[in-house]
Amino acid sequence: MKLTTDLDSLIHPSSIAIIGATEKPGRIGRIIFENLERSGCTLHPVNPKETQVRGHNTFAAPSDLPDNVDLAIITIGAAPAVDAAEACAQRGIPQIVVVAGGFSETGEEGKELERRLAAIPTSFGSRVLGPNTLGIFLPEENLDTIFVEHGDVALAGGGGVAFITQSGSVGVEALGMASNTGFGMRAFVGLGNKCDLGELEFLQYFAEDDNTTCLAFYIESLDSGRQFLEAAMKTSRFKPVIVLKAGRTAAGASAVSSHTGRLAGSDRLVEGALRQFGILRAFDDEELYDAAKTLATLPPAKGNRVAIVTPAGGYGVMGADHVETHHQGRSTLRMAELLSKTRARIKKTSLPFASCLNPVDLTAGANDEMFGSAIDALLEDDGVDIIICAAFFAPWAITDQLLHVVADRIKHASKPVIVFTKYGPFTEEFLHRFHDAGVVGFPSITRAVRAARFLVERADTLKALGKEA
Amino acid sequence: MKSKLNSWLDALDIENLPDEHETKQLLELFDIGTPRGVRLQPKDEIVVPLSEPWVVKVCNPKILHKTDVSGVITNVDTTSIEETVTVLRKRFPKSAVLVEEQIEFGGPEFIVGALVDPNLGPAVMVGAGGILAELYKDVAFRLIPCPPDETRRMIEELIIAPVFNGFRGMDMNITGLAEVINSVGKLVIALKESFNQLDINPLVYSNGHWKALDGRLILK
Repeated sequence: MKLTTDLDSLIHPSSIAIIGATEKPGRIGRIIFENLERSGCTLHPVNPKETQVRGHNTFAAPSDLPDNVDLAIITIGAAPAVDAAEACAQRGIPQIVVVAGGFSETGEEGKELERRLAAIPTSFGSRVLGPNTLGIFLPEENLDTIFVEHGDVALAGGGGVAFITQSGSVGVEALGMASNTGFGMRAFVGLGNKCDLGELEFLQYFAEDDNTTCLAFYIESLDSGRQFLEAAMKTSRFKPVIVLKAGRTAAGASAVSSHTGRLAGSDRLVEGALRQFGILRAFDDEELYDAAKTLATLPPAKGNRVAIVTPAGGYGVMGADHVETHHQGRSTLRMAELLSKTRARIKKTSLPFASCLNPVDLTAGANDEMFGSAIDALLEDDGVDIIICAAFFAPWAITDQLLHVVADRIKHASKPVIVFTKYGPFTEEFLHRFHDAGVVGFPSITRAVRAARFLVERADTLKALGKEA
Repeated sequence: MKSKLNSWLDALDIENLPDEHETKQLLELFDIGTPRGVRLQPKDEIVVPLSEPWVVKVCNPKILHKTDVSGVITNVDTTSIEETVTVLRKRFPKSAVLVEEQIEFGGPEFIVGALVDPNLGPAVMVGAGGILAELYKDVAFRLIPCPPDETRRMIEELIIAPVFNGFRGMDMNITGLAEVINSVGKLVIALKESFNQLDINPLVYSNGHWKALDGRLILK
């Protein structure tokens, strides 16, 4: 049997079988079925005990399914799921997702079940995602197999980030939090136990996908090792690749007899390898989705000189501190020195007591126009590579219009601009509005500066790969 | 190179367990500089390399930290060489003794190493060396083979990197250090499956040359 190598039938199915689909409310087979009703795909519920599921006639077994089913989502428990997966493969369905847990993570019996799943590709040619996976979620195609709460509505607008995660839990919680600040997602893939499909296959798929502008991975084990690194390096020449590698690898018992072996155990080897292959690294879920959101939207920085414009002096000072703090092995940022003509321009359009050095402190008395003029001046200053704009809506002279004043200037700007916004209990609402206006925003100055550093790291990576930003 | 490597392997005192002297011979085969030295077996008559002062060390692949067991004596000259060798022989009756020319050097000590990661394969390391290397953890890794640009970048990542740019008047040669790292990469590739781990520590900069003052190679 020929092995299916194209994942299109998984990512763009038109006909889906749901094994274990049911009328019973609250069951996984019901939630997933309902999710998939929005996809516009032809659905085939398989359930020997029910005749209809939400108006669709059921099939008693996978063998009864019609021809040309692209994808089978198996929502039943581990042991019967394996039988069903084998039956689906036998029926010629090219893609199979096994949602259930209870496999190699639970012991010998589970391991044996997983071995049967892992044998499916060679025996039948079908590909298996999972087991122990939440499956896939593509907002723009309304394709969603995730049966737990995951910010699906907030993410409905879609975007460019392909987010591939080994842990379902980390994945959905990250999605939930990412959606709070506005996040443009192309696809979510839960890898689960990776009995067949793993990070390498999805890296290769989304590298070629025109709608993907950035790839983000949460990985615990780099099973595909060097192959993944090499594929990531190829991808990185035209799309950023960010990896959160959890679980520090000790170099194995045999390697502790040397200094080198003991030092490698401290995670430095992975760090070096990722950098060598042009992969950016995040250290927690927040950093991963912040970096992904930034790199999917903004161009790489031409240099590392940051200007901050703010109505609140304190955040300007904190921001400058973060900019000037160097983290070993990470790219450096520095505060830009503004040209005298830039300073003069800002002076002319702002209040007499505003500070026109960097950080530019427009003071709490600033209005929308003063922000606009200051941003214009900074955009035209060749000594500034990245702008961080603290857009606060609380000052009395600021109106809701500030959002448009900022967004209109940023959207087509030749250099990246990151917004830091706070508005008490309305912060998230404004972050969403910024996101909808195509602006990358964060609710903290630390995160805004960190995002700026990723833009510089991306530029440094491109340079190391022989491609100028 | 292949035949030289094979004859080196064949000549090992204990199969697959090179001692410091043998490790340094291998390093020399790969153009990594080492001090001139003479290995004396327990019964050998005492002969010394060209010029004093010397360092006298116990030379036994099974002893991991020579300094911790008083196995290294420095600043030995013609008046004290005989006594020093005798002292070490008494301390380690079954071990060989290595007499080396003592190298004068300026600037900090470095460490260069290599190992095989179970997932990612062979890798090289460079960092701040000496006995506190594991305390400072100022190291950078790259997978082998590592292109020359990348070798330079890994050195520049170190906190200690400013010593290559005139920090406190130091002008240590970064190109030479990069060459040592590249040579280690070649050595690892040449040893193929039999390679396990290598430490060169300290590696120092002496009169315009990088010298491996100690080397420890573990084969499979």
